Amino acid sequence: MNRPDGVSSILKTLGGSTTKWLRNRFAPKLPLADIYRYFKEVLESNNHALELITDMGQKLDGSYIFDINYIKRIYPELADTLRTSIERFNRLTRNNYAIEPAFTHIDSLISEMIYGEGTTGDDSILFLDDVQWFRAREVGGKSFHLSELKNNLHLNIPDTFVLTTRAYDEFLQYNRLKEIMQPAEGRQPDAKAVQDAVMAGSFPPRLEEQLDKILQTMHSRHGAEATLAVRSSAEEEDDLFSFAGQFETILNVPIVKEDVIRACKRVYASLFDPNALAYQERLDYAFGGLRMAIGCVLQIDPVASGVIYTANPVSGNIDEILINATWGLGTSVVDGTIDVDNYVVERGKSPRIRESKVGSKEYMNVLDTTQPGKIKEIPTPDDKKNLPCLPPALVLELAEKAAEIEKYFRTPQDIEWALDAHGSIFLLQSRPLKIVSPQVKADLPHYTHNTDSVHQPFLFKKPGVVVQKGIAAGNVYVLHRIDELDNFPKGAILVAHSDSPHFIRIMPFVAAIITDTGSVTSHMASVCREFGIPTIVNTGDATKILQHGGEITLEADESGEITIVNGLDNSILKGRQQHIRRMEELYEYRRQKYILRHIAPLNLVNPLADEFTPAKCRTLHDVLRFIHEKSVQELIAISQHGLFGKPSLLRLDLDVPAGIHVLDIGGGLSAKTKSPLSADDIASLPFKALLKGMTWKGAWNTQAVALNVKDFMGSVGRFSVLASGASGFAENNVAVISKEYINLHMSLGYHFNLVDSYCSEKAANNHIYFRFVGGATDIVKRSRRIKLIDKILVEFGFNINIKGDLLIARLSHVEQEEIIETLTMVGRLIAYARQMDAVLRNENDVELYTRRFLEGNFEFLE
Amino acid sequence: MSKYNILIIDDEKIVCDMMKLSLEQEEGYEVESFLNGTEALERLKEKKFDMVVTDFKMKGIDGLEVLRTVKQLYPKTAVIMITAFANLDVAIEALREDVHDFFPKPIKIKDLKESIRKALP
Repeated sequence: MNRPDGVSSILKTLGGSTTKWLRNRFAPKLPLADIYRYFKEVLESNNHALELITDMGQKLDGSYIFDINYIKRIYPELADTLRTSIERFNRLTRNNYAIEPAFTHIDSLISEMIYGEGTTGDDSILFLDDVQWFRAREVGGKSFHLSELKNNLHLNIPDTFVLTTRAYDEFLQYNRLKEIMQPAEGRQPDAKAVQDAVMAGSFPPRLEEQLDKILQTMHSRHGAEATLAVRSSAEEEDDLFSFAGQFETILNVPIVKEDVIRACKRVYASLFDPNALAYQERLDYAFGGLRMAIGCVLQIDPVASGVIYTANPVSGNIDEILINATWGLGTSVVDGTIDVDNYVVERGKSPRIRESKVGSKEYMNVLDTTQPGKIKEIPTPDDKKNLPCLPPALVLELAEKAAEIEKYFRTPQDIEWALDAHGSIFLLQSRPLKIVSPQVKADLPHYTHNTDSVHQPFLFKKPGVVVQKGIAAGNVYVLHRIDELDNFPKGAILVAHSDSPHFIRIMPFVAAIITDTGSVTSHMASVCREFGIPTIVNTGDATKILQHGGEITLEADESGEITIVNGLDNSILKGRQQHIRRMEELYEYRRQKYILRHIAPLNLVNPLADEFTPAKCRTLHDVLRFIHEKSVQELIAISQHGLFGKPSLLRLDLDVPAGIHVLDIGGGLSAKTKSPLSADDIASLPFKALLKGMTWKGAWNTQAVALNVKDFMGSVGRFSVLASGASGFAENNVAVISKEYINLHMSLGYHFNLVDSYCSEKAANNHIYFRFVGGATDIVKRSRRIKLIDKILVEFGFNINIKGDLLIARLSHVEQEEIIETLTMVGRLIAYARQMDAVLRNENDVELYTRRFLEGNFEFLE
Repeated sequence: MSKYNILIIDDEKIVCDMMKLSLEQEEGYEVESFLNGTEALERLKEKKFDMVVTDFKMKGIDGLEVLRTVKQLYPKTAVIMITAFANLDVAIEALREDVHDFFPKPIKIKDLKESIRKALP
């Protein structure tokens, strides 16, 4: 727009938000009919998009067999629906919000994943502070998680820069390594030759230049003495699978270009180590298919280090946090080689240390100050051996930080930490912790211990610790040296002194693993849980008690009970679950899951939160949520400022806190048009009927229903903001009404209701469309509520479609009188179902509360 | 108890893998899979299968040809046809050739298992 210079400069001086306000203030007003039409079209496109998203979620949840063609077919429809929605939204709000760039960003990310791999940034090396969410894949799982801890949770992370997968691609290309990785047809790729070529390769000049600049910055920030920990951060590392212990980490690397490049090349080369290749093969990767990013983390010289699990990975207990600690570097914790300190913290309003076991910590690992790039193992000074590494206050501080991280990532975490000489805690890693899901536990047969067994159980020096539960039988293979793994017989039980990530090589065919030492927090323990290998560590002397070649049967359960007997014991084996690969081990399956991550999760929940902005939309669902909320707010704004001098959106005061605003498009209200309205002012037949039900005596239950920890975990699994509580955003619900029509979108806490109904004298025109989705509790409880709603609506002749926690019910071509009666029932049901997910404890409750509703009894039982 | 032998043919690796994995979760199924009709027919000449699940549209030998060959070699072996989308013409053609069942993708695993269970003696 050409403006006189003076006006432009005034607007510039006033700043962005003021100019936006002026622009809107003087923009031509839309006619009411257009406002409603755009609003309705936005809602229609949004609903269609949500149905497509739900369908995708259901098809990709493991209960369907699919290929990429399914996504290729359905995604363009979804993207087009979003585009329609955005176009109508922009008209409605007169381009007031920058939602289109947010959508374009997510859309290009998804398109890249569907139609071809690519990168979204230009720089190949960047500081952790500059890592944005959409570059997750490029910086690899490990570095991305650290960037989230630093940039969003503002936790103490050592200064870090990342060489992205783009840098890796450039390195491969510059050194023509793809040619070595893909040999002539009929020949096997030679991993050793690839490793040699990687180590002999050079960084491309452009990359070297970037690295040089970054290292100069690190120098000026931290001084010449500082060193780096150069760590792998492969694309999928620390995601659905941990890759724990599979790749190289080089500690204590001087901030010198040549040293850093050499360390990086070692990390690249470790992709082709036999163990790492076995792991990749297990996860369905083609040779050379996995790309590597690298995190260069400022080296901490720790007084103590360790690992935190925010849940018990074996029992699945999410009420306790496990922390272990040792002196010096944490390498011995994840190697499982020494007896470390163990703490169990009980969660709750006032967390407390329930168990505290001080380990003997015979040795400790420290940085070797005489040899850059090296660490050394030294005997722990006698006065420190049996001294706890952490005072109780620090244990609780670590537990608190861990709980905060878990809440952010919405799933239990496996966290590495370090404590420096100044008493500062640094976080070095956070990744999802594999635990036994309650669902899987419930499906397992209940097996009794071998009371009828003729075999005597073996007794070891120590009781042993269950890393992964299960039942197995086979011949014992006592391992003395790692190279003996080459001769490991299929189906045997591995017995070794200490655990090792090298065991990944035999994971496809090992029946079980037993070790003398080790802990549940080691790398091997993580890998065993990932692949469901029954594993027992810390028996003290299994290598001495169990005879090489002898046949044994073992059982380890989630309560930690262990039974190992001589020979085949059928009383134990009858409870055995066949070990099979999981869908997650298929590469294509995971790829489609990753695509879905940019589509289905809802992060933007609370419209009152500061982060409710287009820039915070990370998924298409977020975009839809933003559009919906701002469309509703637009109507409310019109009511506040008036349209042609007359308010058009009016607040409705009810006896229940439903937070509804009313837009009348013709005959929906009696003469009164002043806010607030009361129920008596409503003339719309379907809305009147619905309100009658919602305000039915006793139906809107005001009893507080408590959410437990699991409910909380269920809700944080989908929503990022809980702290503001449900009632904070139940205010912006809009009912668009006429004499014979109602369209009500209503969010109540964490679930959403939609009622669309036409109620005329012509039965052929009449319909009720009811849609219900979401909730604050876990999927099991939400599904119970959906069952209850389903059972009730079926009684009233609805045609029902359920997809996950989404229910869509339709009733059409019925007489006006029946529509009115049914809408009254739907109103009661909306009120009744509000907190029902937290009330229903089991399937019997579903029957019970369905019956009570149908009998007109709306009270919750204690 | 001897196991039922099931042969899967689909040129999409993920479909073969997911199906194999799902069926092997069931007790009593031994599953082999091939990414093309040619190799699968070679295998069929060597070994009798109790059930064949084949994709319709594949390069070279397509699902109908697999169906016809199976019926010639082993009239009692049931064949399930899968296809990328519901196509009535294909379904009618397959029914003429005595196909046991017909599934458009994505396939609900529970339904597929149920259909296999019903077809096996």
